[in-house]
Amino acid sequence: MSRNSEEPVFNQIEQIRTSQGLSRQELADLVGVHYQTIGYLEREEYSPSLVLALKIASELNTSVEKLFWLKEKSK
Amino acid sequence: MNESLVVFVILATLAASYFWIYPKYAGNDVKKMAWLDFALGFIPLGTSAVLFWESDPTFRLIFFDTNWFFFTLITLTLLELPLFFWYLKARGLGKAYWALMGFGSSSSEGSAWATASVESVEKQLNDTQWDGLRTRGAKIFLLIATNTFLFTGTGFLIIVGDNAWAALTLIYILLLLVFWFLLRQSVRLVADAPAEALDERLIRIRDRSYVIAYRWLSMLGLLLATALMFFAVYTDFQPESDGFSYNIPLTWPQVQAIFWLIFAYTAMLPSMAVIGQELSKKGTK
Repeated sequence: MSRNSEEPVFNQIEQIRTSQGLSRQELADLVGVHYQTIGYLEREEYSPSLVLALKIASELNTSVEKLFWLKEKSK
Repeated sequence: MNESLVVFVILATLAASYFWIYPKYAGNDVKKMAWLDFALGFIPLGTSAVLFWESDPTFRLIFFDTNWFFFTLITLTLLELPLFFWYLKARGLGKAYWALMGFGSSSSEGSAWATASVESVEKQLNDTQWDGLRTRGAKIFLLIATNTFLFTGTGFLIIVGDNAWAALTLIYILLLLVFWFLLRQSVRLVADAPAEALDERLIRIRDRSYVIAYRWLSMLGLLLATALMFFAVYTDFQPESDGFSYNIPLTWPQVQAIFWLIFAYTAMLPSMAVIGQELSKKGTK
């Protein structure tokens, strides 16, 4: 079975983050990553680890299932 | 006389290093000190090269004769060691230095191999001064220019012969270090950073770059080994061959060419691989 590490993980980080008035830098500081990494996540160019996904969901007061999904859907 | 001159240059370099440069520019940063030590070692070696490359006089080193290179290197090592241990002891840096060299405990897995400090990487990650080097076009140019420079320089040193033109080796080495610096700036030191300076995305990029770099480096090693094998087989077919021993005549510039080619790719390939990963994704900066 092949594993494609580049398989995209879709998310709504940007929508929830902006609705809560957080900048990328602020969210990055809260979850302990570089602010560019938040940009990569929001553009769906990077798939986070489970730990990071849980941290982001926790900081945005939502669940991982609501924040991330695998198959593209209309947002 | 020549021996005294070399010893004088070494003592002057060591005095400037340990009583002015290290305290002022390295302080208690052992990594910075190690790099300064490496760089400053070129002063006595470079001076000896300029003075004695052409004439190549014999140097008396206590019980045996040697050439300018080994006399300078061995004398520098012997004279520096007491000062080095004194500096480490005076500043309580012994443990940190040995950890840096890979002995004893270090702060994270592999940090002894990292050639960039946490502070310098954190500074680089927020730096905008070198953004001109981080555009897609600049990275492509840097990759092509570095590889062209390395192969041209290596070719030059192989064919130049042991004459005055070989002194250009020093300029080649200097430019090689400049390209290395530019590559590191272009990728924000990510390839050379310790894990604690990076987040999980950057660690993934860094680790992946070493897989790619290892593959290219093994390709280079295989090419050199294959060339050696072909040389041996070709030699066996010559009438004067005994089929057991092979002489490979190498000039000093040719030895330099091989050494610096391997050094350059060992040091630069991880950064080149980071650039390669970034270029494979469209629109990244």
